[in-house]
Amino acid sequence: MTEVPAAVALHGVKKAFPLGNGRSLDVLNIEHWSLPAGRCTVLTGPSGSGKTTLLNLIAGVSLPTAGTIAVHDTNISALPEPRRDRFRAQHIGYVFQTFNLLSAFTALENVMLSMMFAGAIPKPEQRRRAAEILARLGLGARLTHKPQQLSRGEQQRIAIARALANHPPLILADEPCASLDAGTAREVLHELLSVCREAGTTLLVVSHETAVLAAGDQVVDVTAINRPEYRVGAVERV
Amino acid sequence: MTVLTVALKYLRGRFVASALTSLSVALGVSLVIASGLLSRGIKQGFIEGTTDYSLLVGAKGSPTQLVLNVVFRMDVPTPNISYGTYRDLQDDPRVEVAVPVAMGDAFQGYRYVATTGGYFAALPWRRKTFAISQGRFFRDDPPEQPAYEAVLGADVARRTGLRVGDRFHEGEEMAEYPLTVVGILRSTDSADDRAIFISLASYWQMNEVSRKMQVKPLTAVLVRPKRMSDLAGLHRGFNVTAETQAVFPSAVLLNIFNVLSLVDEVLALLLVIVAIVVLLYLFVSMYSATLERKREIATMRALGARRATILGIVLLESCALAVIGGALGVAGGHGVAYLGASMLGGRGGPVANLFVVGALEPVVFGGAVALGALAGLLPAVLAYRTEVAENLAPLS
Ligand SMILES: Nc1ncnc2c1ncn2[C@@H]1O[C@H](COP(=O)(O)OP(=O)(O)O)[C@@H](O)[C@H]1O
Ligand SMILES: [Mg+2]
Repeated sequence: MTEVPAAVALHGVKKAFPLGNGRSLDVLNIEHWSLPAGRCTVLTGPSGSGKTTLLNLIAGVSLPTAGTIAVHDTNISALPEPRRDRFRAQHIGYVFQTFNLLSAFTALENVMLSMMFAGAIPKPEQRRRAAEILARLGLGARLTHKPQQLSRGEQQRIAIARALANHPPLILADEPCASLDAGTAREVLHELLSVCREAGTTLLVVSHETAVLAAGDQVVDVTAINRPEYRVGAVERV
Repeated sequence: MTVLTVALKYLRGRFVASALTSLSVALGVSLVIASGLLSRGIKQGFIEGTTDYSLLVGAKGSPTQLVLNVVFRMDVPTPNISYGTYRDLQDDPRVEVAVPVAMGDAFQGYRYVATTGGYFAALPWRRKTFAISQGRFFRDDPPEQPAYEAVLGADVARRTGLRVGDRFHEGEEMAEYPLTVVGILRSTDSADDRAIFISLASYWQMNEVSRKMQVKPLTAVLVRPKRMSDLAGLHRGFNVTAETQAVFPSAVLLNIFNVLSLVDEVLALLLVIVAIVVLLYLFVSMYSATLERKREIATMRALGARRATILGIVLLESCALAVIGGALGVAGGHGVAYLGASMLGGRGGPVANLFVVGALEPVVFGGAVALGALAGLLPAVLAYRTEVAENLAPLS
C-alpha cells in the first residue's frame, strides 16, 4: 500500500464530541493513516466505532479536534469554510446509506445540483453530462422522475450518479447498500465499483457485506487504525 | 440550474402550502390596494364633483348639509329660501352671476333639479362644461305656462332607458304632470350625471305646496362675485339674516376631507395589522418548511453548497412567494376597488376614475416584497446555521 500515492493522508487526527459540563466523547485518535489513490478500500468496524465520523472528517463536513487531513495534498481542515465547501464540491463525492436525494427535484436535477455547487462544468453542458452519467448507471429512461417515483435501488443509483457528477478523484460511500435488499445491494455495489475503476477514482466504502469485502482492493478495520485504547469503542473523558 | 430555479422548484414541490401562503399575501395586498384606490377615488370624486361657484346661499342650518345636498345631491334637502333672495343677489352690483336651484323629488332615485339655463352656461372661469349629446336644453318657460321639459344626466338616461321624446312621471299623484325628455347631457363625471334638470316654472307647478305659494321657493342660489374681494362681504351679509346662510363650498369640502382623513387613519391602522398577520403567516410557513428540510440542507452542504447559497435559496423562496402574492394582490385589489366604486356610484356617492397610474401600486408591491424578505430572514439564518454532520443521518 505504500508504493501507491496517497489520496488521503491523516496525521495525529483526533475527534472528540463535547458532551457538556466539561465531559467529552473521544471517538477517533489516529496517528497515521493513508488511503491509496485509485483503489477501493473497504472500511469496517462495529457500530459506533467512528466510521461515519471518519468519513465526515475526510469530506471536511466536520473538523478534527486535532491533527491534519490532507486530501490530494490539500489540508482540507485548514481551509476557510467557503473554500472547503468548494473543494468538497469539486473533489469529493459522497454517497449516504439513506440516499439523501432531494425530493423536490427529478433524477436529472439531483445530479445537476451537484454541478451547480461545484461550478466546474459549463452550464450548457450540465444537462447533457448528467443524462450521460444516469444512462451509464441504467437510468436513461428515468431522467424526469422524482425520487419518490423510483425504487430504492434506482434511488441509490441516482445518488451514485450525483456523487460522480463533477468527476471527483475521491468517492466516500457510507454503507451505501445497507438500505437495500441483498440482490439489489449486489447490483448497485457492482455498479459503483465498476464506475470507480473505469475512471480511476479512489473509493472509500463503509460496509460489512461479504460481497463488498471480497470485491475491494483492501479491507481496513477502523478499530485497527485507531489508538489501542479506542479499540473497544468511544471513550468518555472528563 | 441557478439558486432562483432551485428556490422555485422547492416552492412547486410544496405546491399547496406555497399557493396558500401566496394567497394570504395576495389578500393582504389587495386589501391595501383596494382601500387605497377607493379612498383616493372618493376624495378625487369630491374634488372633481365640486361646484365652480365660490358661494352658496341657502336656508339657515348645517353648511355641510347644504353643500352635500345642492352640490353632491346627497343627504336630505335643506329648507327653502324665497325667490326674493335670488332677486336681491341678481340686483347686487357685486355679483357677476347668480343661478337659482330648487331640489325636487326623485324619479327612480334620480333627483329633479330645477334651475335656469344659466346653470349650464359656459363661462370663461368655469372648469365644468355641459354639452348636450341628444336633443336640446329645456326652455326657460314663464311661471304661468310651464313646459314640463326635462334634460337627463348621462347616468339617468343610461340607467332608466329614457330617450328624447319619452314622457315620464313617478307615482299616481304626478300623473297629471308628466315630464317630456327634450335632451340628454354628456357625462360630466359629477353628481349632475345623476340628476334630472327641469325649469323652475315646471317645478313650482308640479309641487302641491309651491303651486299655492305667492312667493315661490328655492333651495339655494349659486353665486359668483365680480371681484374675489367682495366674497367676504357677501358671505357676511347673508349670514346675518335670520333665514339665510352663505357658505364657501371649498371650506365645506375641507371639512369633509378632515372626516375622511380620520377614516384613513383608522384604515391605516387596520392595514398595519393586516401586514403583520401576513408577515407572521409567511414567516411560519417558511420556518416550518426550513425545519422540515434540515436533512436536505445538510445534504446540499455535503455536496458542496456554501452556507450563503443555502441562505439565498430560502430568502428567494420567501421573496418569490411575496412577488407572486403581490402581483395577484395588485390585480385583485383593482378588481375589488372597481366593484366597490360601482357600488358607491350606484348609491350616488362621488367616486372618480380609479385607474389612474399612481405611486400606490409600486409602493405596495415593493412593500410586500420587503415583507417577504423580512419573513424569510430568520428561516434563512436557521438554514444557514444548519449543522451538516448532525443532520445527514436519518432522524432516529
Ligand atoms: N455529533 C455527535 N455528538 C456526540 N456524539 C457523537 C456525534 N456524532 C457521533 N457521535 C458518537 O460518536 C461515535 C461514533 O459514531 P459514528 O461515527 O456514527 O459510528 P459508526 O458510523 O461507526 O457507527 C458514536 O458513539 C456516536 O454516538
Ligand atoms: Mg455510521
